[in-house]
Amino acid sequence: MAANSVNVKTENTNTARSIGTRRGRLSDQIARGIFFVCAVLVVVIIFGVFVFLGINGLQMFKDPAARNFFTSSSWDPSADSPSYGALGFILGSVVTTLLSIIIVAPIGFGMALYMTEMAPRWVNALLRPLLEVFTGVPSVVIGFLGLVVLVPWIANIAAPIAPSAANAGNGWAAATLILVIMILPTVVSVSIDALRAVPDSVREASLALGSTRWQMMKDAVLPAAATGLGTAIVLGMTRAIGEALAVSMVLGGDIHLPAKLLTPSVLFQPNINITNAIVLYFSEASGTERNGYFMLGFVLLIISFLFICVSRYIASRSVYK
Amino acid sequence: MSAQQQISTSVESDERQRLLSLERLTQRLHLKNNIASGILALITLLGALLFILIVIKVLWDGIPYLINPDFYGSTGTGTVGQQIFNTLYLLILSEIILVPIALAAAIYLVEYARQGPLVTVIHFAAETLAGVPSLVLGLFGYLVFATVLHLGLTRLTGTLTLLCLNFPVALRLFEDALTSVAREQREGGLALGSTKWHMIRTVVLPSSLPGIITGIVLSAGKVIAEAAALIFTMGSSNPSNVYTLNPMISTDNLTIHIWYLKTVGAGTIPDNVANAVSAGSAALLIIILLVINIGSRSIGRLIQRKVMAA
Repeated sequence: MAANSVNVKTENTNTARSIGTRRGRLSDQIARGIFFVCAVLVVVIIFGVFVFLGINGLQMFKDPAARNFFTSSSWDPSADSPSYGALGFILGSVVTTLLSIIIVAPIGFGMALYMTEMAPRWVNALLRPLLEVFTGVPSVVIGFLGLVVLVPWIANIAAPIAPSAANAGNGWAAATLILVIMILPTVVSVSIDALRAVPDSVREASLALGSTRWQMMKDAVLPAAATGLGTAIVLGMTRAIGEALAVSMVLGGDIHLPAKLLTPSVLFQPNINITNAIVLYFSEASGTERNGYFMLGFVLLIISFLFICVSRYIASRSVYK
Repeated sequence: MSAQQQISTSVESDERQRLLSLERLTQRLHLKNNIASGILALITLLGALLFILIVIKVLWDGIPYLINPDFYGSTGTGTVGQQIFNTLYLLILSEIILVPIALAAAIYLVEYARQGPLVTVIHFAAETLAGVPSLVLGLFGYLVFATVLHLGLTRLTGTLTLLCLNFPVALRLFEDALTSVAREQREGGLALGSTKWHMIRTVVLPSSLPGIITGIVLSAGKVIAEAAALIFTMGSSNPSNVYTLNPMISTDNLTIHIWYLKTVGAGTIPDNVANAVSAGSAALLIIILLVINIGSRSIGRLIQRKVMAA
């Protein structure tokens, strides 16, 4: 009898446990499903970005007047015979991006080299947080600072060679310098990661062969970190080409590319780029013009996508990660 | 003079010359090394000075306005009380939406998903999304949330756009936080017979809390700083009363306000007032970001100590 009751008891706890387990299993399954949906959401979003911008942008080519999008630099949607040439905008973005990365790359690599190879600890303790703050600094703050400090300063210096002294501060030169400030922290941070990834054995081997510290950096560390530094450049360019408000605040241009493109003065007069055009005119545009701004956004999207692909390709070839 | 002597002197002078040239080489290398070190130090000094001067300039110009309590009012020109409220509102609403979704996605990628094409695709998608310019995401938000979903230019549309913008960033940070938990801890939990989800809740999430908090705080910084994605999705002006929790109204925030005053809305209020408001708001934003960046480290450390002690 006594043995029997013990038996019943164990059976009871057994069923209770199995119910508990079943409930656990079920909640496990549900949780897993929810997590899966959230993870796939990233793919859905990026897919949606391409599809929606692509469809709306490409619709502009239904309008025969828009056929010159990639062949002309005259953007004048409100003219009697409207023209939708976007080359001027694209040129603006490309020029400012290239100029800024040319300035940023040596400075960024130099800072990263100093901070990883030479700096005393307190310099890093001070600079790393500063760089982190600056990677996230609002672009309007930099833009505002550019307007009140940089633009008057450039105007003073460049007034003699600019076509109009009054707004010599606006334009590609100011935009380039703004971009330098905005992408330098990114380039330095990524470069530091790239240099840190080079194992110390590389440095020690080079020093053991009798090289000076500079030879060690130049001939051992930099080549070993080349792919990582390449990624830093590409990521910097990705940020630069998409930067909108800060650049748009100092560009000061509307829709017209300056007439004389091959003189230095082109840098020191109100000028245009892709983001500036979208920021200024998108909200009041309609019809083909509106689709044109979507198309400009789509062009930006494609360019940044290509940059990301290139940076992934470079990163996949790196030896040290 | 014998031939032998001649040979020995020439060997000696050869030796001396070799030594001399080696010495010169060493000197040249050391000189080069010193010059290069000097240049690198100088570049770093100038770069650091640039950043420090920018911070000082923004604070110097803005703090005189910040200490004036009228600056935080909501009536009259030159006040930003409404914009501060909007920024905080947007921050909280977008964190409420962002954190659960990004955390769930991170949990799936770290705990459940097998290494394979799906994970690669998701990571590639996240990386691509992180590289999309915020202005382009603003256009996307306008198309999808405002137009297709008929939400119009509202706080909700802005929040959803910010979700797209911050999702990949938060996902990355949360993934890092989760992977930092040791495998033995997980196996211990599973060996005690808990299901995976139970193990995640009781073992992984508590011990990765510092990293998760850091992720939340850093994405908060991005929400506060963002403007380009919001001007087409949330609007750039305020209704008469912004102090409601209604997500279906169109408002601005601090960053949009600065941009608006200096570009599209230039001339709506006197130029010196616009400059004053912009300078003050810029200083306020910089202070918030400094606090967030320093705070995220110390909060993370503090929590870590608490968790470790418990």
